[in-house]
Amino acid sequence: MKYQLRLPFYLAWQYIHRGKKWAIALTLVLLATAFVNLLFISSLFNGVIDGSNKQIINTMSGNIYITSKNGKDFIGNTKQAVKQIKQIEGVEGVSAETQVQGRLKYSGITVSGQILAVNPEASKTVVNIADKIVEGAYLKPNDTNKIIIGCQIAGGEGVANNAFSFKGAKVGEEVQLMTDKGVKTFVIKGIFDTKFINSDLRAFITEKSYKTINPNYNPDSSTTIIIKTNQKYNQDELVDKIKALDIDGEVYTWQEAAGLMKSVSESFLSINVIVSFVGIVIAAVTVFIVIYVDILNKRRQIGILRAIGIRSYIIVLSYVILSSVYALGGVLLGTVVFHFGLVPYFQAHPFEIPITDVVLVIGAKDYIARAESLIWVSIFSGLIPSIIVVRAKMLDAILGK
Amino acid sequence: MEDCVIQTNSIHKIYKTGGLDTHALKGVSLKINKGEFVIITGRNGSGKSTLMHQLALLDKPDKGQVIINNQDTSRMGEVQKTKLRLLNLGYIFQEYALIAELTALENVILPAMMHESGRLAKKRAIGLLKKVGLAGKYNRLPPQLSGGEQQKVAIARSLINSPSIIFADEPTANLDTVASKDIMEIFKTLNQRDNITIVMVTHEPEELAYATRHITVSDGRLK
Repeated sequence: MKYQLRLPFYLAWQYIHRGKKWAIALTLVLLATAFVNLLFISSLFNGVIDGSNKQIINTMSGNIYITSKNGKDFIGNTKQAVKQIKQIEGVEGVSAETQVQGRLKYSGITVSGQILAVNPEASKTVVNIADKIVEGAYLKPNDTNKIIIGCQIAGGEGVANNAFSFKGAKVGEEVQLMTDKGVKTFVIKGIFDTKFINSDLRAFITEKSYKTINPNYNPDSSTTIIIKTNQKYNQDELVDKIKALDIDGEVYTWQEAAGLMKSVSESFLSINVIVSFVGIVIAAVTVFIVIYVDILNKRRQIGILRAIGIRSYIIVLSYVILSSVYALGGVLLGTVVFHFGLVPYFQAHPFEIPITDVVLVIGAKDYIARAESLIWVSIFSGLIPSIIVVRAKMLDAILGK
Repeated sequence: MEDCVIQTNSIHKIYKTGGLDTHALKGVSLKINKGEFVIITGRNGSGKSTLMHQLALLDKPDKGQVIINNQDTSRMGEVQKTKLRLLNLGYIFQEYALIAELTALENVILPAMMHESGRLAKKRAIGLLKKVGLAGKYNRLPPQLSGGEQQKVAIARSLINSPSIIFADEPTANLDTVASKDIMEIFKTLNQRDNITIVMVTHEPEELAYATRHITVSDGRLK
């Protein structure tokens, strides 16, 4: 029996070692293509989801988000809350924001975007607006009549929201901020472009500027506190720790604050599942046809093996091993093409969509699941036709009938 | 009865093609004794190859019995038949039927690897290849050998498990006169020196001289 068990491996090795190199190469290329296709579609959707999630975290809400309690306009004792939150291990940055009720006017055009009063230095520790300035400069804490606006407010050529924007406001030009406390003129200090429309429909002024508009403004109260956390720490545990501080506000994770983007992400996830399933079916059919044709071409050889006394299970096993080797080779080749070809290419040339620049993202779990799918499909693709052939009449196989 | 290695009892074989029944064997009964060199001849479509396929357990008769070495094969399962083919019967096909991915030596060793290590079988395989005149060509792949040489490899392969019976289906049909004579001489030696029973189908009248018995098949019956 031990000799018999060695035989399938021996035969499979000889098929590979001495088989037609171009045929083996073609099979590997086809399997690698099927695998890359499985990875590509999924990683593209993951890229959209991951990209939009990062945009929400990095440009808007941070990882954790605190709003005022129901029935209240502000979070009380903001300074104390910020100080306490900063002391929690795993918190990397905290910033309090105050929403300014008002509209911006430029050259006779009025735009009602979200205007936030922030401490620019604190804001930098949570969101990356400072890094997304495409014209001009970011705010400084002592700026009193400077404003930075998102590119969707500034408008101009190539801006998605141009129709409802200032249609080409430039750095150095003036805009009026109209609030119920009066009108104040600001100079556009910078224009930012995060490539996330929701984020680019906002404008920022300093807390000091806001104080000049609203003398009743209390810096110890804010409408939101945004928090950046270290990815190594469990987000839910950090939320619990923040909740335990008994802050005068409601604590949410960024997912809960994602709003519309949450349902967009969920839709993409559902589409990804469907597209991945279709991809696996296509890969299965491709792999099955490739291996089936390969085995059918060896029908006579299988007949000869049976005629000279080689047991059927050994023949079947040899083709299962051969198919597994093809699958592993395809997975390996596909991995090389994907990780060293497609991923770097898309990092250099991402797909540009209005919410983010999409790069290819695949998690280890997804990768393993797809590799496993391909290997199982290949095993069945080797198993089924070889069983069919060994069950066929031996003489028909030998005579090629 | 002791000497009888093959016995058939009224075997019938019917091929069904496109709703048409072809009665290829019509109750053939025969006995072949140990050490015989039997040559089966007949016209195309006479049933001679069909008869040999039944004797060699490559096919199953629709009716009747094939008894090999006193074992009724009609009662055997596929695993038992495979074992019988492996250990007691050797085959030589018209088209050589070698495994293209294996060298001459590996082709010969293959059936032995079912029950022993390749290393042990290798020594015997080299001896057999020398015996059929292929010394020094052990590592050649089938396409690197002539037709006659490939057939010699097939003969060596059929001998690796020391069978008591060798079946050869038109083994010289694709060979030139010199190669054909070579092959027939090998069969003669195996039969006369090693007392191996040989059952061979041929179209070549000059090969009848090697036979100890000549069977003619005509219209599915023995003449």
